[in-house]
Amino acid sequence: MGQISGSVVKRDHSTKFSGAAIYVGDYMESDILTGKILHSQKAHAKLIEVKVPELPAGYYYVDRRDVPGDNNVNIVKDDMPVFARETVEYIGEAIGMVCGPDESMVEHILSAIEVVYEDLPVVTDVLKSDTAFFDYTITKGDIDKAFKEADKVYEEVFETGFQDQTYLETQGMMAEPQAEGRVFLHGSLQCPYYVLNAVTRALGLPREKVHIAQDATGGGFGGKEDYPSILGCQVGVAAVATGHKVRCIFGRREDLEFTPKKHPSHNTYKVAVKDGRVTAMDVDVIFNGGAYTTLSAVVLQRGIICANGVYDVPNLHIRGRAIKTNTVPSGAYRGFGGPQTFVSVEMVMDHIARDLGIRPLEFKLKHLVKKGDSTSTSGKYHFDVPIVEMVEELDRICDYRKKREMYAKPQTGRYRRGIGLSMCFHGAGFTGSGERDFIKAVVRLKKSADGMVTILISNTDMGQGLRTIMPKIVAKELDLPLTQIIYEYPDTDFVPDSGPTVASRSTMVVGELLCQAAKRLRAEWQDGEEQMIEEHYKHPEFLIPFSLDDFKGDAYPTYSWLVNVIELEIDTYTGRPQVLGAYGCFDVGTPIDYNIVVGQMEGGFLQSIGYASMEYMTADKTGRIRNNSFSDYIIPTAMDVPNLKVILHTVEYPEGPYGAKGAGELPAVGAPGAYMEAVEQALESVDLHHIPFTAEDVLKSLEEAEKK
Amino acid sequence: MVNGYMPLSLKEALELRAAHELVPYGGGTDLMIEGEKDVCYLFVNKIAEMKKIVDDGQYLRIGASCTFTEVLDSPLVPQLMKEAVSRIAAPAIRNAGTMAGNIGNGSAKADSVLIEYVAGAKLRLVSVRGERVVPIEAFYKGRKELDLAKDELIVEILLPRTGLENYFYQKVGARNALAISRLSFAGVLHLEDGVIRDIAVAFGAVANTVLRFRDIEHMLIGKTIAEAKKERAAFIAAYDAAINPTRGRVSAEYRKAVCLNLLRAFLDDKGI
Repeated sequence: MGQISGSVVKRDHSTKFSGAAIYVGDYMESDILTGKILHSQKAHAKLIEVKVPELPAGYYYVDRRDVPGDNNVNIVKDDMPVFARETVEYIGEAIGMVCGPDESMVEHILSAIEVVYEDLPVVTDVLKSDTAFFDYTITKGDIDKAFKEADKVYEEVFETGFQDQTYLETQGMMAEPQAEGRVFLHGSLQCPYYVLNAVTRALGLPREKVHIAQDATGGGFGGKEDYPSILGCQVGVAAVATGHKVRCIFGRREDLEFTPKKHPSHNTYKVAVKDGRVTAMDVDVIFNGGAYTTLSAVVLQRGIICANGVYDVPNLHIRGRAIKTNTVPSGAYRGFGGPQTFVSVEMVMDHIARDLGIRPLEFKLKHLVKKGDSTSTSGKYHFDVPIVEMVEELDRICDYRKKREMYAKPQTGRYRRGIGLSMCFHGAGFTGSGERDFIKAVVRLKKSADGMVTILISNTDMGQGLRTIMPKIVAKELDLPLTQIIYEYPDTDFVPDSGPTVASRSTMVVGELLCQAAKRLRAEWQDGEEQMIEEHYKHPEFLIPFSLDDFKGDAYPTYSWLVNVIELEIDTYTGRPQVLGAYGCFDVGTPIDYNIVVGQMEGGFLQSIGYASMEYMTADKTGRIRNNSFSDYIIPTAMDVPNLKVILHTVEYPEGPYGAKGAGELPAVGAPGAYMEAVEQALESVDLHHIPFTAEDVLKSLEEAEKK
Repeated sequence: MVNGYMPLSLKEALELRAAHELVPYGGGTDLMIEGEKDVCYLFVNKIAEMKKIVDDGQYLRIGASCTFTEVLDSPLVPQLMKEAVSRIAAPAIRNAGTMAGNIGNGSAKADSVLIEYVAGAKLRLVSVRGERVVPIEAFYKGRKELDLAKDELIVEILLPRTGLENYFYQKVGARNALAISRLSFAGVLHLEDGVIRDIAVAFGAVANTVLRFRDIEHMLIGKTIAEAKKERAAFIAAYDAAINPTRGRVSAEYRKAVCLNLLRAFLDDKGI
């Protein structure tokens, strides 16, 4: 770790600590109307009539008839309406919005509206739906031959559930009509230009008539990648229709129930083994996409590319489908499809190893990819794969191997222990050629006459530290104090489109562009002059071109890596697990700020443990999610994983700033494999097949074992 | 905007309670969540008579407005009560939430109420009309149904001074902090010269009120440990028949299984 990694006080530390930071809920003007969404109470129905009572003066009801432009939200495939069309497709879908000055009156009006529905069949089970939004296939080698020649074939199904991002600040957007027919939107968001594209389209306005700014944002974790576009269109339509500022902020229940979550999955693994080695995998990945496509295409792409894990499997057939159901559209959550397939492949590898009588770690390392090997999409691992060293580093701090042997002995008491290990990667940046073909990032550095340098990018800080990271890079290259670098919350009127803040791309891609821009500015620096430097994305030349048509080529330029170990103790009387230790080794390249990266790793790791263990959320047969409060949707506290240790391992990426690569998502990808391996060991080597694995599941498993 | 009265004496509080339609407000940790706008509160957390913890020679009297933190800090409060109270929510909530609030909320999941059941605690209820002392089991008439007149306040909790030393307690929540009980168990055994003088078993969060079955407990009272051991199977079977858990955040089957597991663990722990 070089000088760049030394930690500084986060840029937003004092404003957030003192309460001075302005979130969208903090604007106090008296002329802001409160907007509340009329949510569908039916998961699938024809909308016959919306009976709106007579409205008091100053109160408004808007719906699809008020959309001046296209009533479709621009995300990937634009099939989600701003306000419901003739049908509603999930519980919570926005039918309309009530706006007015007094919140309780708005709520009163909302409750007085009568919606007449005509029921249509509700589908909540992916296996019973006949609509696949997306259907992709990856092939490699000769799968038929491998299965024909196999000594043994394993087939198992793994299921994963919803997971909600549970950012501290719920979704919130505000729209303001401005002079000359302009519309200004701001709020809690990750991707200002995504919102701009969606809102201009819904309002039927040219680019220059709309601008989007980010307010201080209390967490995103992917949840504010697409939803602010949807909510932005809704408040935008309301502001234009009423001629007033309109702000809509979700309550926690509304947010938990009606905004995008991680895709639940149903993954079938058929694995061929010959001479003690996995020779082929035939994988069928099914993601519950929910009612509209939103981000499912890209989440699914990443999910299936990871389906063989970190293992070199010469013959592959991976089919991935995102299925339509009448549940809330699934979306982005830190990890973006990876957690679902990684837990599945880690578990199937465990089960096969145990069946073959080999230690899972030994079995996995035997299959580990290395530099130069080909990826699932016949691309290449261009750089070192540090997993072996990371395993050793982790083993030194937590005694994995020793404890694994110890807990393998028969345990008879009330409390039983287990330890598990998982290994994963996260492909850094957009999948395939997205950066080159769609994003085409542009960054600017503006130097004023007094020597202050302003970073002009559309990337957002939502707590993850970008407002600190980016100035550190620019300050270092310009050899200026950090205080001389300005980086404000972006407004699309002033910043170029440097792309969205997603896909663990910002530091690696945008940070590198800023680094290049700063180098040029330094070379061209003229005291007392105003200067503007602009840099454009350049696709790394070493990449094997990626084709989405046949899933061939380099899906990612490089990979971040992790090894996780979970040690736990299960109370066989109550089924409750207690995590005794969570140990993570992470390679995100050079950390641009050590404290920020360690904080990111700890937080993501805890989310990942929550995903495996307690974050249970499900839609019932009517399509309703009932786990819509923090007493029903359980996320872990620090008390649940008091002993959580993170270490960093660094393999530098030459195309990232100072060797940095993707960091944000990695820690949220890997814990479930380790967690479940530990649970399986504590339950005496039973094969398990789903997460979250709750206390109730533990007792059921024990009961079944007793019956056998 | 919150409307309410903040009396500084019990007398004043009772007069206000009798004269107006008021919702007693201790720490507000339950009421704030409900956030009702059209109610008027009677803030009872500044009343000195309701903030004391004293041993009067007959009972340990815990003032109704004592916060959970104050209970934890008191040298007089028995360890069993402290164990249960220490598992309520998180420090910030324990600093605000009160003993009477835990009772008055009317939930079978209330962690301190389980201990009041197993201790056979009584509540001192006072109004301008006078006062009465009611056993906790009689006070809870059903889910959210309390034997509390509109002009009455819970002023004190009366715990027996001894008898809670030999206990077995477990809270089962969905996580280790900020967790509503999915099930809770407390068992107390009082032995004299090898004979069971008293045994009490209570289950929280499985039905509309905390459950305690005195008739089942009587199966073991007056027996030696050796005699009790012979009754063990019948004793467990009696609870198996008596407990019919409600389905909630977890299934009824899970609740039942864990109730019986913890009952067995209690008996194991006490050598029965």
